[in-house]
Amino acid sequence: MTITIGIACFVLVLVMFMQFKIVNETDITSIENMRETELRTELANWKSRYDDTNAQYEEVQSTIEEYKKTKESNEETEKLVDDELATVNMNLGKTDVEGEGIIVTLRETDNEEISQINADDLLVIVNALKLAGAEAISINDERIINMTDIVNIDANTDNLFVRINGQRILAPYIIKAIGNQSYLESALVGKGGYVDELRTIGHDVTIEKKDKMTILKYDDEITTKYIQ
Amino acid sequence: MIFIAILIGCILGAIIGINAPMISYTYSSYLAIAIIAALDSVFGGITSVINKNFDLKIFITGFFGNAILSILLTILGQKLNVDIYLAAIVVFVGRMFTNLAIIRRYYVDKWSDKFKKLKQQEDKEEKNKQEKVAESE
Repeated sequence: MTITIGIACFVLVLVMFMQFKIVNETDITSIENMRETELRTELANWKSRYDDTNAQYEEVQSTIEEYKKTKESNEETEKLVDDELATVNMNLGKTDVEGEGIIVTLRETDNEEISQINADDLLVIVNALKLAGAEAISINDERIINMTDIVNIDANTDNLFVRINGQRILAPYIIKAIGNQSYLESALVGKGGYVDELRTIGHDVTIEKKDKMTILKYDDEITTKYIQ
Repeated sequence: MIFIAILIGCILGAIIGINAPMISYTYSSYLAIAIIAALDSVFGGITSVINKNFDLKIFITGFFGNAILSILLTILGQKLNVDIYLAAIVVFVGRMFTNLAIIRRYYVDKWSDKFKKLKQQEDKEEKNKQEKVAESE
């Protein structure tokens, strides 16, 4: 009788401690252990949260769409501005340019009696080229831009030299000009052409036609101080 | 005597229970209701011992039968979506309280009887002493 009750107690306490262990060691908050009602409320929670997040997502998406549109229009403007900038730079002489044109090479003779080629001659040639529609001109790779100076230094002495863009230029002078080849050439040669005049004086002037050549850019900064 | 048996059973059960393997949490609700049923049976057994009408067959069948029945009822309740295990808990715990009341009353009576007897004995002894004193005088 007492033994039976003892065994019953043994079984009871055994099962009880097993249960204690289960209750202690199980994480009630994990999904696997939740009861159906808890799961249901949790699901409802998550659903509402999902809806909220979805709404937020859509909002953000529309904002992004807006931004994209703005960006696209910005890009268009940017492209336009870039193109504009490129053309302006090209016109200004801030970029290397390529194209057909002529190369005029002026070599001085050793004859002491003939006057040296000076800035005035170069100016005349450059002007003639401009008149003939030259789009880009350089003398000894010094690009002729709107602010270019072509001047004689020490004009009254024997050691005369020419300065272009503040750089000292020495003979031979290689003038490159991009434009219509025949127009450019005809502006220099032929009757009244300045090259012809130089030739008659005795200078060695050659004109070379090129289908493709490069004129280097203007190297210095173009600075303005007084333009407002 | 019966308390020693209960104590030994409890200690052994605790030691083995702590080292027993884990059971999945899914079955813990069935296990809990079985524990309540078994607890009720044990209290019932103790009560019957006190009342001197203890029957081994009834005790053992009650112990396991109640546990199994309550587990089955809990499963049925889950299938029917009715919390039948609440009814089982109410019945078992209610019975546990009645059984506990019977046990308590039995021991309280026992102790108060002992106390009374002791007092009576003391009174008798005192009377005897007084009588003896009177005689000697």
